[in-house]
Amino acid sequence: MSKTRALVLTGFGLNCDHETAFAFKSAEAISERVHINSLITGEVSLDNYNIMAFVGGFSWADDHGAGVIQAVRMKTKLGDKLLAFIEAGKLILGICNGFQTIVNLGLLPGFENNYQNRCVALTWNDCGRFRNDWVHLKVNTDSPCIFTRNLTHLELPVRHGEGKFLADEPVLRQLSDHSMAVLQYALPDGTPAGGKFPFNPNGSLNDIAGICDPTGKIFGLMPHPEALIHPTNHPDYTRYHQKATRTGKNLDECGMPPLGLKIFENAVSYFS
Amino acid sequence: MPHRLEITIKPHLFDAEGEGVRRKASDYFGIDLQSVRTIHILTIDADLSDRQLHMLQQEVFTNPVTQISSYDPLPVEFDRIIWVGYRPGVRDNAGSTAMEAAEDILGIKFALHQAIYTSKRFCLTGKNLTAENADKIAGELLANDIIQQWRIYGKNDWDPSKGIGYICPRVILNHEPRIETIPIDSDHTLQVISDQRRLALNPRDIPTIRAYFLDEDVRAERRLVGLDQPTDLELEYISQARSDHCNHNTFQGRFFYKDLSTGESNVVDNLFKTCIEAPTLELMKKKPWVVSVLWDNAGVGRFDENHYYVITGETHNSPSNMEAYGGAITGIVGVYRDPLGTGKGSKLVMGSYGFCVGERDYNGPLKPKLHPRRLLDGVIEGVRDGGNKSGIPTPFGQVIFHHGYMGKCLVFVTAVGLMPAMIRGEPAEQKKTSPGQLVIMTGGRVGKDGIHGVTAASETFSDHTPAGHVQIGDPYTQKKMHDFILEVRDEGLIQYITDNGGGGLSSSVGESARFSNGCKIELEKVPLKYQGLDQWEIWISESQERMTLAINPEDFDRFMELSRKHGVESTVIGQYTDSGKLHITYENKPCAYVNMDLLKSGFPQWEFEAHWQPAEHRGFFEPVIGEPDNFKKLILDLLSRPNICSKEWIARQYDHEVQATSVIKPLVGAGRDIHTDAAVIRPVLNSQTGLAFSQSLIPEYSAIDAYHMTACTIDEAIRRVVAVGGDPSHIGGVDNFCWPDIGFDPRRNPDGKFKAAQLVRSCQALRDICMAYEIPLLSGKDSMYVDGHLSGPYGGTHKVSALETLQFSAISLVNDVARCMTLDSKMPGDLVYVLGITRDELGGSEYYQHLGYVGLNVPEVTPSKFSLLYRALFRAIDKELVASAHGVYRGGLGVHLAMVAMGGHLGMKIDLSLIPCEGVERVDTLLFSETPGRFVITVAPENQETFNKLFKGIPYACIGNVTQKTDLVIQLQNREIFHADIFELKSAWKRPFKNL
Repeated sequence: MSKTRALVLTGFGLNCDHETAFAFKSAEAISERVHINSLITGEVSLDNYNIMAFVGGFSWADDHGAGVIQAVRMKTKLGDKLLAFIEAGKLILGICNGFQTIVNLGLLPGFENNYQNRCVALTWNDCGRFRNDWVHLKVNTDSPCIFTRNLTHLELPVRHGEGKFLADEPVLRQLSDHSMAVLQYALPDGTPAGGKFPFNPNGSLNDIAGICDPTGKIFGLMPHPEALIHPTNHPDYTRYHQKATRTGKNLDECGMPPLGLKIFENAVSYFS
Repeated sequence: MPHRLEITIKPHLFDAEGEGVRRKASDYFGIDLQSVRTIHILTIDADLSDRQLHMLQQEVFTNPVTQISSYDPLPVEFDRIIWVGYRPGVRDNAGSTAMEAAEDILGIKFALHQAIYTSKRFCLTGKNLTAENADKIAGELLANDIIQQWRIYGKNDWDPSKGIGYICPRVILNHEPRIETIPIDSDHTLQVISDQRRLALNPRDIPTIRAYFLDEDVRAERRLVGLDQPTDLELEYISQARSDHCNHNTFQGRFFYKDLSTGESNVVDNLFKTCIEAPTLELMKKKPWVVSVLWDNAGVGRFDENHYYVITGETHNSPSNMEAYGGAITGIVGVYRDPLGTGKGSKLVMGSYGFCVGERDYNGPLKPKLHPRRLLDGVIEGVRDGGNKSGIPTPFGQVIFHHGYMGKCLVFVTAVGLMPAMIRGEPAEQKKTSPGQLVIMTGGRVGKDGIHGVTAASETFSDHTPAGHVQIGDPYTQKKMHDFILEVRDEGLIQYITDNGGGGLSSSVGESARFSNGCKIELEKVPLKYQGLDQWEIWISESQERMTLAINPEDFDRFMELSRKHGVESTVIGQYTDSGKLHITYENKPCAYVNMDLLKSGFPQWEFEAHWQPAEHRGFFEPVIGEPDNFKKLILDLLSRPNICSKEWIARQYDHEVQATSVIKPLVGAGRDIHTDAAVIRPVLNSQTGLAFSQSLIPEYSAIDAYHMTACTIDEAIRRVVAVGGDPSHIGGVDNFCWPDIGFDPRRNPDGKFKAAQLVRSCQALRDICMAYEIPLLSGKDSMYVDGHLSGPYGGTHKVSALETLQFSAISLVNDVARCMTLDSKMPGDLVYVLGITRDELGGSEYYQHLGYVGLNVPEVTPSKFSLLYRALFRAIDKELVASAHGVYRGGLGVHLAMVAMGGHLGMKIDLSLIPCEGVERVDTLLFSETPGRFVITVAPENQETFNKLFKGIPYACIGNVTQKTDLVIQLQNREIFHADIFELKSAWKRPFKNL
């Protein structure tokens, strides 16, 4: 068992905490679900962890912009501790509502070591409502992102109403200059979706589905890697399974994409 | 002095919300708008400094990347402005989270009279947009006068400096709470008061109630605590407990059943006992996996040695019919409290929905409160937000369109939970209260919500009277409570838990106190949303997101510590006792003192006359139609029928994968777009065991005979779970009856006796079929009075009654999710089998409906034969001999062969002459008969022999094979009957709702 310790936030309407904690556990980390208030009261200290995960859900019901109020609470009650956590070279993962939160906190994109500048946004999908669908993702292999090492493509579900990635032109340029746009929504053939619905499910600029900071240690994405932790989670599982049983091959040989677990394994193994 | 913050999206950015309004205005009303921009308004009814206001604006409520905001009206271009805000007392979820954020960042606490209110301002531009059209958009799209108020501004009456002004829908009751005593000198007096106060006491109950309060011993006891005549609170308590909703008087009634065709008659005493309780108790002996049924908030079955699953189903029809969004979200969030309040509490792992509404494109003369299209939009969004924001997957659901639901829509909501088998060495499914334990209310606060339910709808509104009767569920508050309860459960602190739903504290405390045999409640301790509620209102209010718990005094500190950690409000409101009395005081003034067993004491049973007349005696017959020759057009048209076509737009709005348990999703196949037979989840993440779940609705068959409607509905639900790999020897059922009024009245309900007979027959079918298939009923509910009086073309009202409707839910175990099945064909060259016999059973079918007939030959179920087939199919799937499996449901083989092909993105070549059938001479009968008990499956050629062995003696046939070429070709021997590319079929199937 690795000594890597992962903290998974819970409480106030977050709802992917159990499976995210399970994913880190499967990746051989010591993972714990910790209530936001337990961090604030000091009952639990960030110092004891190598990885911090902001997870999916509807924090404070997302009534005033997804992840906004969670970001406010974290900033006012934990701001310095978070910056110290980053300073210490530890890893932060933000999934869906967690991505929205760390973007509002300014932890991403984190240009020039500034982790308090709010300059990108995740806003309402162009379709105007919540959507649950699977997407193809192109991984930027040049990116410094630690979480996506050795990955070239992924298939994961999106489950959000506010996932449209927005930023001004200069910010977008900086993101691509530093290969910080880690994940792009793609066509089944692996090329970027070019804004084409439903492959790009929300209208994100440049098909951006996930970004990291310049160090690659802070990573945020809208799709849910913790929702593909078992082969049967994949929508085509029964089809791959038929292929496999008839050809005597295993699921990967039949073309089944990698599990989202890889992202958690990359994070955990970074410390071992 | 209030403050008003206006927030909107930067002008150069796309306003998805506004665009949605623009599109609907055009689609629904043909009103062409150029643009719609949305402005979100926070009206802050509290004295804050400029610094504090600035902080809120900058730090919380304005996104620097996407939004602009101002404490003055924002200058956004418009031809007309529509402002929409809530009425006083309507739950404003966004308002309360805004307050939470403000308190957080400013480090302040809002007083009870201070608040933040949210509202919206829509800026519409469009050539010659009239005030009338703006008002139509406001009243029929953006707002519902039951919960909202709106204003329309033109260019001339808009003051850019004042804007909408400062509108604070604060509840001001100016009322001193007081306890009234009710004179009971005669039955008449009490009846009159019952009518005045909307107690809805049943006249036949009144003598029993009076007898109790006039009893000398009772009076003596009451005088000792300072009471004599009954108080308003006591009568409200009795009326709640005796209501059909809480007491199920209809199902417990006596039915004088008569078959008019034979003259035979008999008395059915208590449908619940004879048709639901008895068979379930009988089956429990055979089914050790049934853990707990018939007493708790939900039924409990064994998942594995360490876990139990919990299931129940509810409806929320009347409120949804008036306020679709509010009613539906309250319904789904409410049903989620049932598993949470079952045993010592269970985690929610799944939800599902069933919607029955009028024709979506209805343009006839009747005027329902909400048009079916708008109503459906609202219930979809209500269940969506309730489920998604609770973090509970919604992997299954159905929609049925039928004119009968114009009078009242049906909103079925079902919840599945999971609990550990043991908690700290104690059985998790058991609970009881004991003297000395604390009565705790946790979760939301109490207001006038839901008091006397819909009867309040007729009240007129003032600017400050709460619109209490329609509620809006708050999944956020409940999610916090859910997480909190699971943590205290796992620490072993919960001795008893139940939810506050219908009847509020009145029923939750009343029922929990039966175990200890008494309680003493101090009502003034109950936290209120606003002052001025009478004691009886506090007692019966149905304010949502509340649970009632029993806690040992020594656990109290730890309990409250965790309550604070989770940001949940918990309050001790009294103590359990063994006094035999329900004793309630308010600031030491007595409010109630009645025997715990009062409600069990000799209330008269309801009685119904039930007259049955077989369909052929009611003028039903098989239509005389020649055999069609254009089967291509016919099948394409059937695929486009509302009750068959794709509902993808709904399924995709529901998070069906949260918790990472998803195995079989709502949409399956190569295109991930065909509706699955059933959902499968894997609720324990380190286990291969799964739960298969399905539901069915075939109300159309009730037109002929509700007995066979019920039998076929149950059979369909079973086949659905078997098709995905569910174990037929472990299937639990949930029955949800929705019936029109069965009380005969020569003027108001002339066919009441017939509808009563249909209910008796339906319950008897439920008993017969569940016994035969060995399906214990883990839970169930009934919702009567599904009728509506709609105003017609000439002003008069028309009564519209729903079809007699049963939603049946089936839950089953999957031994290994790795072997789960989907319906889509997998490989070219595979063999296509039909399992089961096709009969001439087109009565009530989609085919007949399409041609404008009902018919007579309603499909019938023969469980003894069918169950052999189901077990064989289960074994075949378990041995991995099957590549795909799909049940044959509404539309028959013609429709469901197409589903299998469309699912696989592969063609199919079929010879109809090979289909096993009895008494079928015609191709249309073969293709569209809805005979139950059938499947279409595909099998790899190499498995054919083993498969055939397994199915020895069971009716089935290989009728063709799967082809690479994507054509569905149907022949009768060598004569081609039908030929179409599956993508042409798919586009027809998707056409009706493709733009939604």
